[in-house]
Amino acid sequence: MLPQVLFQNRKPRRIATMEEYCRSGGYRVLEDIARGKYSPADICRIVGEAGLRGRGGAGFPAATKWMSVPVDGAYPRYLAANADEMEPGTFKDRMLIHVDPHTLIEGMIIAGYAISASKAFFFIRPSYDSSAMILERELERARQAGYLGDNILGSDYSFDIILHRSGGRYICGEATALLNALMGKRPNPMKPPPYPTVKGLWNRPTVVNNVETLANLPHILRNGPEWYKGLARTKTGAGTKLFCISGKVNRPGCVELPIGTPLREILEEHAGGMRAGSEFKACLPGGASTRYLTKDLLDVEMDFDSLSAVGHRLGTAAITVFDQKTCLVGVTLNLLQFFARESCGWCTPCREGLPYIRDLLWRIENGEGREEYIPMLRQMSRDVWNAYCALAPGAASPVESLLTFFEDEVREHIRLKKCPFSRPR
Amino acid sequence: MIPEALKRELLERTARAEHPREMAVDVMYALQGYYGYMSDEAMEEAAEIVGMTPLELEELATFYDFIYRRPVGRYVIRVCDSAVCWMEGYQSVVDHLTSRLGIGLGDTTADGLFSLIPVCCIGYCDRAPAMLINRKVYGELTPEKIDRILQKLATGKPAAGEE
Amino acid sequence: MPRLVIDDLQIEVPEGTKVIEAAERLGIMIPRFCYHKALGSAGACRMCAVKFIHGPFKGLQMSCMIDAQDGMVVSTTDEEAVAFRRQVIEWLMMNHPHDCPVCDEGGQCLLQDETVSGGHGLRRYPGRKRTYHDQYLGEFIAHEMNRCIHCYRCSRFYQDFAGYRDLGPMQIANRVYFGRFRDGPLESPFAGNLVDICPTGVYTDRSSRYKARRWDLQRVPFLCIHCSLGCSTVASARYREVVRIEARFNESVNGHFICDRGRFAYPYANLADRPRRARVDGEDASLAEAVRAASGRLDQISMNAGPDAVALVASDRCSLETLAVLKRISREKGWRHPAVFPRPDLEHKTRRAVSRLDRRLAVSMRELESADFILAVGIDPVHEAPMLALALRQAFREDAGIVVMDPRPVSAPFDFDHVAIAPAEIGGCLSRITEALSALQADSAAQGKETRRPEAAGPLRADLDSRIAGIVERLRGSRNPVIVCGTDIVRDSTPDRAADLARLLLQLKARPCLFFVLPGPNSFGAVLLAESPGRSFSDVVQDIEQGKVKALLVVESDPFKNFPDRERLERALDRLDLLAAMDYLPTSVVGRAHIVLPTCTVFECGGSFINQEGRVQRVEPVHEGGIPVHQVSGGGHPPRVFSHEVPGGEIEAAWRTALEVAGYTNARDNLSILKIMAEEHPGFARCRDIPTSRSFRVLPDAGDRPPVCEETGDRAAPEAADTLEVVLVDRFFGTEELSGYSPVIQNADSEPLVFLHVRDAEPLGIAHSDWISIALEGGGLEVRAGVSAQMAEGVLVIPRHRLLEWQKLGPVPAQIPFGRISRAGKE
Ligand SMILES: Cc1cc2nc3c(=O)[nH]c(=O)nc-3n(C[C@H](O)[C@H](O)[C@H](O)COP(=O)(O)O)c2cc1C
Ligand code: SF4
Ligand code: FES
Repeated sequence: MLPQVLFQNRKPRRIATMEEYCRSGGYRVLEDIARGKYSPADICRIVGEAGLRGRGGAGFPAATKWMSVPVDGAYPRYLAANADEMEPGTFKDRMLIHVDPHTLIEGMIIAGYAISASKAFFFIRPSYDSSAMILERELERARQAGYLGDNILGSDYSFDIILHRSGGRYICGEATALLNALMGKRPNPMKPPPYPTVKGLWNRPTVVNNVETLANLPHILRNGPEWYKGLARTKTGAGTKLFCISGKVNRPGCVELPIGTPLREILEEHAGGMRAGSEFKACLPGGASTRYLTKDLLDVEMDFDSLSAVGHRLGTAAITVFDQKTCLVGVTLNLLQFFARESCGWCTPCREGLPYIRDLLWRIENGEGREEYIPMLRQMSRDVWNAYCALAPGAASPVESLLTFFEDEVREHIRLKKCPFSRPR
Repeated sequence: MIPEALKRELLERTARAEHPREMAVDVMYALQGYYGYMSDEAMEEAAEIVGMTPLELEELATFYDFIYRRPVGRYVIRVCDSAVCWMEGYQSVVDHLTSRLGIGLGDTTADGLFSLIPVCCIGYCDRAPAMLINRKVYGELTPEKIDRILQKLATGKPAAGEE
Repeated sequence: MPRLVIDDLQIEVPEGTKVIEAAERLGIMIPRFCYHKALGSAGACRMCAVKFIHGPFKGLQMSCMIDAQDGMVVSTTDEEAVAFRRQVIEWLMMNHPHDCPVCDEGGQCLLQDETVSGGHGLRRYPGRKRTYHDQYLGEFIAHEMNRCIHCYRCSRFYQDFAGYRDLGPMQIANRVYFGRFRDGPLESPFAGNLVDICPTGVYTDRSSRYKARRWDLQRVPFLCIHCSLGCSTVASARYREVVRIEARFNESVNGHFICDRGRFAYPYANLADRPRRARVDGEDASLAEAVRAASGRLDQISMNAGPDAVALVASDRCSLETLAVLKRISREKGWRHPAVFPRPDLEHKTRRAVSRLDRRLAVSMRELESADFILAVGIDPVHEAPMLALALRQAFREDAGIVVMDPRPVSAPFDFDHVAIAPAEIGGCLSRITEALSALQADSAAQGKETRRPEAAGPLRADLDSRIAGIVERLRGSRNPVIVCGTDIVRDSTPDRAADLARLLLQLKARPCLFFVLPGPNSFGAVLLAESPGRSFSDVVQDIEQGKVKALLVVESDPFKNFPDRERLERALDRLDLLAAMDYLPTSVVGRAHIVLPTCTVFECGGSFINQEGRVQRVEPVHEGGIPVHQVSGGGHPPRVFSHEVPGGEIEAAWRTALEVAGYTNARDNLSILKIMAEEHPGFARCRDIPTSRSFRVLPDAGDRPPVCEETGDRAAPEAADTLEVVLVDRFFGTEELSGYSPVIQNADSEPLVFLHVRDAEPLGIAHSDWISIALEGGGLEVRAGVSAQMAEGVLVIPRHRLLEWQKLGPVPAQIPFGRISRAGKE
């Protein structure tokens, strides 16, 4: 059996209790911290050596981010755990909460300690209300056990976690928009400088991390950086990764696998292969804002560097699989509908450009396409890269890759004046 | 007007926050829970609790997806229309719901029980097609399953936990 | 200082300059919508994209988001950048209604300019357009959201810059909507700037809607004369009618903006009932006839009763030209020198303020924005000097502390500590602060050559001690403190005390730190030209009553507006042998004058004014005088009777007519007036050398004069516990004379309230917004009460509002016994 780290306490149809988490070695690191075994700098160093990269999509090294909090930065400092998770195809953060919430809670305390924060916000999307309720309950248990609150385990470190329910919008997951949302402002992103680690929430140093990133911390500190690096299947990778598989496979779901596991192996061994009658046509390898990945790359190793070497992104590692019967113009139109609807409305390329692209795709899909739309789409999917934040470039990825890899399919729509696929009904 | 006790509780929670504005969404959720949706009056009450102007709160209320500024039914059915659910039968779920409820997307049944709206990916792609009713998720939907859910909700019996 | 190359031109700019700004200094105007000098960068529109070729950034980048850095090489004409900008324009125009022919912005529209210059000519987008509902935003501004391009300038100005919270962005994605929670007038007194700042036609000026295209307008750099700050504007006229006022950038005074009073006051100049024909004893006459009549009768009276029996009355809305001429003719004719101020205390305080200001002490309004601590005394900024409130807000946004010491329920768009004390206590507090600060200074042995004792402070309420100590601490700890002092409600010696404190601060911090607010647009000029001791209008009334004055020449002044005892004024005027009025407003005095000599407004004849920091500002006329075409024709087609004469065109600037009345028939050209001005005050000699477009200050160089607090009999605080001290105050709308005639402002104005403290109101059973009646000397006054806890106790704050008959008050200063205030039955 493959090593299960984040999911080591996974139980069928039930949540691991705090006791179970403790029995598996949980909160040991916190006890060590309380005993003075680690300084904040030690934690940064160890996590840096372990090579932990952010799991929220951008893959930024976690320790590097923490260390960008200025040594003489103001107090109080904050940590924000990002469980907004609205990237279509992605549901790993929900799984994590439902499997073993305390690994996450301990991870947050460790990260908070590493940056000398006194408070953390757990930012969670409204459709995860059941997860939010679990967390509320488990946070209270942790508080009662002395893991949270004033003078944790008798040390002089105090730290608490506040659960913040989002009003629900994809852009709230973008780190700087999330900070605005937490402050009760409109969740528009804010371009650095200043960086949130210098001036974040209420102008104080603030670190935003994805919840999966945070959940790795107890395990890295428990077992050491070498162990963590050794978990990966590739040289440059480190640790395991939660992969969400959806679409035309037999067993959609979320699995924990060594980072760098080849795509083909994930699909065939861990997702039960393609459904009967379905053939692999393409997949989105890392959520809706990544490019379509075609058959010829099925053997790619799923980690940050390997994918970027072939022009793709690991993103959130949410793999959505499409078969030969799926109209990719339709899928792209659907994705653009999503992105256009979720644009925060701040900058022109995203607010106006995405609806433009959506309109052209809609026309092509519905038999009103024209040849000249293809160069227009191509140009616009390049131009929206000059947006204010990364939402619009993300939205452009499926469009651009559709035109790169499936131009014939698009032309076929235009030639036939209708969609050549029977629509999935 | 919300009940005094609720108001007091919200004021206390707001006072505990480092900055009252942080509570804007929570307070709106609480008032929405009481009124069913955020009426103008509710907006003004909520704004007062968090020390914002109604406009400042409206900037947020109209931004977010889960704050309703118009009346909605007791059960808000939100069918996921993002890629995976769309591919796995979103349209037939909507067709079934519209014919059963006799309303279109964006409408509320005459008895005020159900509203039907699309929602973007709710993070249950492994169990597509999925929908959300109030804060509860239902996955792997089939016509029969939808009928059972509607039946339970309409007759007032608590819906069996699907999650 | 970073040095960079933009389009092959090299430039060096200060650290922190954005590339878009650096380019502008080279004369390269990079297209933009969201970027605005006053509002900074937003990065929203993406219109300012340029190509970075060398240096720390590469490729297409927004020039508004990147600081100029050494070694940058930037191209604004790069093909990729041009193509991207063309794309942005197409996106912005996707939903635009293309309604330029019916849009008032047409011809002065940034979106129009950049659509054309960006080369977006053909519509490719096949989809439908988005449409919005518009809102009613009050009498000033029309709202047409379909034209919005979402640059967020309006909300950034309205909320961030100006600090008001009832207009902002709502909704999300391509439905973002800028407006209010619900229809209703915008709360900000600076909302009119939305018209200037919106790069397209979402917010347009309702007062000038559908009147003209910009290219049809006579547009002239102009000056606002609706308070003492003297903000810069652009005035536009068409068909002999002023149709629009816009803000004009002024580096020293107002920056980019103006207030709504300044923007919407102009219709007084277009009034149909403006005096346009001269009158003699109730009969229309030509100007020449009326001048002859006035001249003859004044000479007659001078001869019979002595020249001393003729008194001149002017006001601080008179130009420097007029004031100088009045001074000249009164001296030469032996007439009484013009009384400019309505009350002796105002004249005294203004004089003290002006005499204490010098070049080292005076801060300009823009310099005030970089203060780190501000103590404002006896001033309600929004109401008395509106743009001062915006300047204070900019300081506040940069973390300056602000303390306002004033009895009124002051509200302002920034956080401040309010020390709500009665007018009589303010001076004492100032002295205490000065005393404490210089004592601390003596300790640290930094005592300079100046050995002086600030005059002993009077007794103070105990609870003020800690607040004063706090202020002293903050003054000590600040690098760049400023004292702001009003002149309206404070006691006579307060300006001196403020100046004493400022001088001490100047010693300590070596930075200018004194900012006075004066009663009117030309109060500064008036005291420079006045003789000492000056006289005020109330002295004139006394002299009429005693029979010493028999003739009055009232020049651009309305005593009925300012004199607190209407009945007494009427009786006095009735005693006169001659009442001659020169004005462009249909005032009560004009209504009852024996001889009326109409004059031109400043729009028609230009003029010079000195603002509260001693800055002489001069403007040229916007249009030639005459009855607006539309009034001559009764609203229809212009009349087809041709003549060389402009209807109503014979009237002239007050100074010209005044010279004629005094018999000077050949000194009426522009050169002569400059000569007269220079002769009347040496400071004005520079007017001859400096072009109108440039302003200069007439302040003495250094304050080597000893700091003296001029002895005056300050009134003590009222002792009696059973009376309220009446504090007469100005309000944003309704008290300033000229704007009071503007119909659009009249429509927008709200009901005036008389304020008193909760603890004073409660025993009387008065709650906020109750109707109350106050028994004044001259009769009962029915008014709504404002009840506040954020104001001083023991005062009754009455606005000199045009709709309130406060002139029933009788002699001032006034005390009102509680027994005379009661709840009125009225609902
Ligand atoms: C439009 C947009 C949406 C995002 N949504 C999420 C999200 O839902 N969850 C998340 O963890 N990161 C999200 N991110 C990435 C965050 O900006 C940020 O990189 C991340 O939370 C940092 O955490 P990490 O360093 O641990 O990955 C989003 C980014 C963009 C541009
Ligand atoms: S790309 Fe622009 S409009 Fe889109 S979400 Fe980011 S900032 Fe908002
Ligand atoms: S001016 Fe630079 S993005 Fe708008």
